[in-house]
Amino acid sequence: MAPLRLSITSTLALVVLGIHALLLPALYFGLGIVIRDSHTELFVQNVRTLSRHLAEEMEGGDVPESKRRVADFLDLAILRGEGVYAELVDNGVSTRSNLNSPDLHWAGAEDFEFGQGGDFVYWIKLPVERPGHSAELRLGFDERPISAQIRLATRRILVALAVYLTIALSMALAFGIALSRPVLKLKRDARRIASGDYSRSMRLDTRVRELHELGADLENMRGELVGVGQRLSAEIDERKRGEVKHAELERRLRHRQRVETVGTLAGGIAHEINNALLPIMLLAESALAELPEGSAMRPDLEGILSSARRAKEIVAKVLTFSREAGQAQLERLDLEPVTREALRLFGMLVPSSVDVRFDIDGPCPPVIADAALTVQLIMNLCTNGYQAMNGQFGKLSLSLRVERVEAGEGQPAAGDYVVLSVTDTGHGMDAATLEHIFEPFFTTREVGQGSGLGLAVVHGIAESFGATILVESAVGRGSTFRVYFPVADRAVGSTTEARDLSGVRV
Amino acid sequence: MKDVLIIDDDDSVRAALKRVLERAGHSVRTAESGADGLRELRDRCADVVITDIIMPGQHGVDAIKAIAKEFPRARIVAISGGGNYGVGEYKPNAITTTAYLTAARNAGAHAVLKKPFETRDLLDAIGGAGKEDR
Repeated sequence: MAPLRLSITSTLALVVLGIHALLLPALYFGLGIVIRDSHTELFVQNVRTLSRHLAEEMEGGDVPESKRRVADFLDLAILRGEGVYAELVDNGVSTRSNLNSPDLHWAGAEDFEFGQGGDFVYWIKLPVERPGHSAELRLGFDERPISAQIRLATRRILVALAVYLTIALSMALAFGIALSRPVLKLKRDARRIASGDYSRSMRLDTRVRELHELGADLENMRGELVGVGQRLSAEIDERKRGEVKHAELERRLRHRQRVETVGTLAGGIAHEINNALLPIMLLAESALAELPEGSAMRPDLEGILSSARRAKEIVAKVLTFSREAGQAQLERLDLEPVTREALRLFGMLVPSSVDVRFDIDGPCPPVIADAALTVQLIMNLCTNGYQAMNGQFGKLSLSLRVERVEAGEGQPAAGDYVVLSVTDTGHGMDAATLEHIFEPFFTTREVGQGSGLGLAVVHGIAESFGATILVESAVGRGSTFRVYFPVADRAVGSTTEARDLSGVRV
Repeated sequence: MKDVLIIDDDDSVRAALKRVLERAGHSVRTAESGADGLRELRDRCADVVITDIIMPGQHGVDAIKAIAKEFPRARIVAISGGGNYGVGEYKPNAITTTAYLTAARNAGAHAVLKKPFETRDLLDAIGGAGKEDR
């Protein structure tokens, strides 16, 4: 069975009712006793005083001797007080008042307490000293007016208590409502928040301090929630933008691969055609030089020569086209996601014997570069590092950090850079090797194991971004390649032609 | 008259160069690879060595270095068929024919020529009347 749950208002009403159910009857009966006692005591005092006066008057010399006078006197006694009965017993002779109720009779020795005897009469018996003997004065007083006063007083108390209870209950209800109204508001607001609406303030307009503080605390919590919500939605937006960027990067990589495929074909074909064109041109020229002026074969050879020259131009155009199609798209670029993408791709190629680590030193400002080419640059550097380990276990550490370079010998131009470092634990290089590593076809590996183009490509790509490469290496101690990407706000113009390789700084 | 050694893996290129140069009055020997060329030179030095840069097996840059080191008096002319040759190694932005030829110069070539070239350019390069780097 579910526990009984009561609202604040009904709880307060029940508590008030419960308390008063005990308190009010006690109060009522207590007050009743006090009122009854005080009334009866006063009554008893009054009638006793009156009775004693009567008795004293009868003892004095004024007291008439005759029965009649006694009866008159008694009549007066009844008339003066609230007496309903008067009797003087003198020497066995009973004199009664004419005003006595005929059905009233002396109740005897027992009935001398208020309310006793059930006859609504308070009996008093007093001795009266007569000359030579003692008489007895018997008086009876009506108890009913006093009883009526007592009843009236207790009834008034009952009414007062009922009014009091009504007021107490009303106050309890009002207080309950005052308490529950802000609580109900909190409930509504909490439900609204649960359903995702953070717009309403949780502050409470109440005089109850605890509720006011609770409202203020909840309002602070709401503020936090709104902040958290805003941060979350900002993060989600950021992630979405990241996904869009990621998709864009993938699209460009695919595009570049297509261009490279076409370029590879074009380059290969161009090489063959150029080789084939060379003998045609040289031999036709040679033959022309041998022919006498006006020979009928001269126009034929000139035709061959001009067609060969035209073919040469076409090949040059195809090469130019494929080169232009693959030109770098320089843009503001955040290196961190690009590096992670390159590492993801590299991770697919590298065996687990190589421990690849990436460490970024806080957020890096954007640089000017081509995303797809940067991926290629990083992958080539990683591949170079991996190959330097000769298949042994090793560590490849990448890092990104911001560095300010002051002007100095053997340094990039002064300015701010994002520096990409690739450190391997491979065999390292001596100074003579270092001088040539960026030259095409330069390789320390056996023929067929490496193309000797990887680092030349790295250099070409870096040059096209205006980036500088510094290399540190020692035989047996591995190598560190540092690529200095100028930060975007001091952007460097695009260069897609590879530069003179003698300018390599190592 | 000069003693010329031609190193190129392409038969027709070797034959054409030999014919043109002989007709111009030079004495010509040929070799199919850098290694063959070095053997020929060790047998008898040449005044001029014409070598291709991109060849299967050993590429011309190494051959140029070796020749420049061993035969410093020989004039070296590097020729390239252009294109960024090599399956899977074509890098349109990174390496151009110019870069290859620059590498050849750095390795010790006195003159560089892009294939196909005119007879006059060839004769100029051999005679030293063309662009000089040293």
